Amino acid sequence: VSAPTLARALRLVDAAVARLETREAPALDRRRFLRAGGGALATALLAACNAQGPAGAQAVLRFAERRNERVERWLLRHTRMGAPLDRVPGGARDAGMSFPSYHIARVVPRWDAAARGPWALEIAGLVDRPQRLALDALVRLPQTQQRVNHYCVEGWNAVATFWGVRVRELARLAGARPEARYVDFQSFDDGYHESWDLESALHPQTIVAYAKDGRFLSPAYGAPARLHSPVKLGYKSTKYLTRVVFMAERNGGYWSDRGYEWFGGT
Amino acid sequence: VDRERLDSPAPAIMPRAAPPRHHWVVRLTHWVNVVAFSLMVASGLRIFNAYPAFHRRGEGFCCWPLEGTPAPRWLTFGGWLAGARHWHFAMMWVLVATGLVYVGFLWLHGEWRDLVPRRGDLRDAWQMVRYYAFARRDHPRQGKHNALQKGAYFVMPFVGAEIVLSGLAIWKPVTLGWLTALLGGYVWARWWHFAGMLTLVLLAVGHVFMVLSTDPYSLRSMLGGGYDASLSPEARNARPFHHLLPRWRARAAEDRP
Repeated sequence: VSAPTLARALRLVDAAVARLETREAPALDRRRFLRAGGGALATALLAACNAQGPAGAQAVLRFAERRNERVERWLLRHTRMGAPLDRVPGGARDAGMSFPSYHIARVVPRWDAAARGPWALEIAGLVDRPQRLALDALVRLPQTQQRVNHYCVEGWNAVATFWGVRVRELARLAGARPEARYVDFQSFDDGYHESWDLESALHPQTIVAYAKDGRFLSPAYGAPARLHSPVKLGYKSTKYLTRVVFMAERNGGYWSDRGYEWFGGT
Repeated sequence: VDRERLDSPAPAIMPRAAPPRHHWVVRLTHWVNVVAFSLMVASGLRIFNAYPAFHRRGEGFCCWPLEGTPAPRWLTFGGWLAGARHWHFAMMWVLVATGLVYVGFLWLHGEWRDLVPRRGDLRDAWQMVRYYAFARRDHPRQGKHNALQKGAYFVMPFVGAEIVLSGLAIWKPVTLGWLTALLGGYVWARWWHFAGMLTLVLLAVGHVFMVLSTDPYSLRSMLGGGYDASLSPEARNARPFHHLLPRWRARAAEDRP
């Protein structure tokens, strides 16, 4: 909207108000009020359209995010009677091939065994017994099968059945130390990673999945193994998994470092 | 007859300032709410635009005709998805706090009596509709608000509560899974959230239109609190933009006995 248009609009408002004033009690200085108020409002609206808001507000937003995180963690803990579990509503259909797939690398990441050796999942950090688990070793561990929702930060959800090992099981296997409060999930997808709070990582529905809808994962869906959980938004579930690192401090993440919420819980 | 009393001058009537039409708590929460609600709608539309549809992946959706159509960019706020989410999740506390203060005040201070529906309100509302449609000449008698207004103001806090609950159900579909299930699952919780927003926006747009077109003096009462009852729409027999209507309309109204 250009300045002359705005001026013309204000003159129109003025004319209307003048008419109102001549016909009714002219007690109020409406003309000046409307001009100033309308001008300020229009400017504010024009400035605000599709903007991120004033720079000073960002500190407030970060403060709110930290507060929200405390609320979210409290909620997760206090609905813990046997853990809040994701349930798929009756009648919901599997997404199947409509399940969106995505990665940050330019091409679909594939593990190059010739260059990097056979793939193995490393469990490291604050653990007593660091592990290197090949895919068949992973499959031999206690298996979990779950049909759950996948919640994307964009707002969609998709239903799929995943097979895998609970992160809880991996933590037990590797002997995670009590000082480990966070877990970083790292990948071979151009350095993509996301760190989690321990509670969410040890949630019974948080698994390292190697199969989806009855088949081993295809490269598009994160082969050979990916993290999956309904308790976090999709971007927290690292695909193309290589390392699970138990840590004392959080380690950010690909999207968390780019401005999305670090907690990203559901 | 007590002659002495009759002769004595009448007790002076002290000019007293009229009490404000709206308590300052109502005025404050109103304007805070204007800002917070606008930001919530605009940032919410930016979030919606990241997936401007309701269907679960691999399914269809029955009940939204514009499935897949994003909201116009100029209506959105937050710049990008993460920015809009931060605004949305910060401003929601302001909105909830103002809402609680407002409703709590109405309850404790008795103002709810101006809004709660009473017998005959439907009939009065119909008379207002007839009046605005020029099927009736005189403005129906009213209390603080006309029946249509009263209905709108009464419904707003309930729609607000519905939006807050469905919003929580979308925000925490697992930790508050019982709430999400109550609303029919995640897909329907999103729909309820959107439908509630649309309802409130329509009510708010209607409200602003009526204020500017029919009772501009009430703007002053919501700012400073003062309101001249002789300028009320009832006293002026005002319809939307009646001062802009052809003169014969207005004169006919002025000439009424």
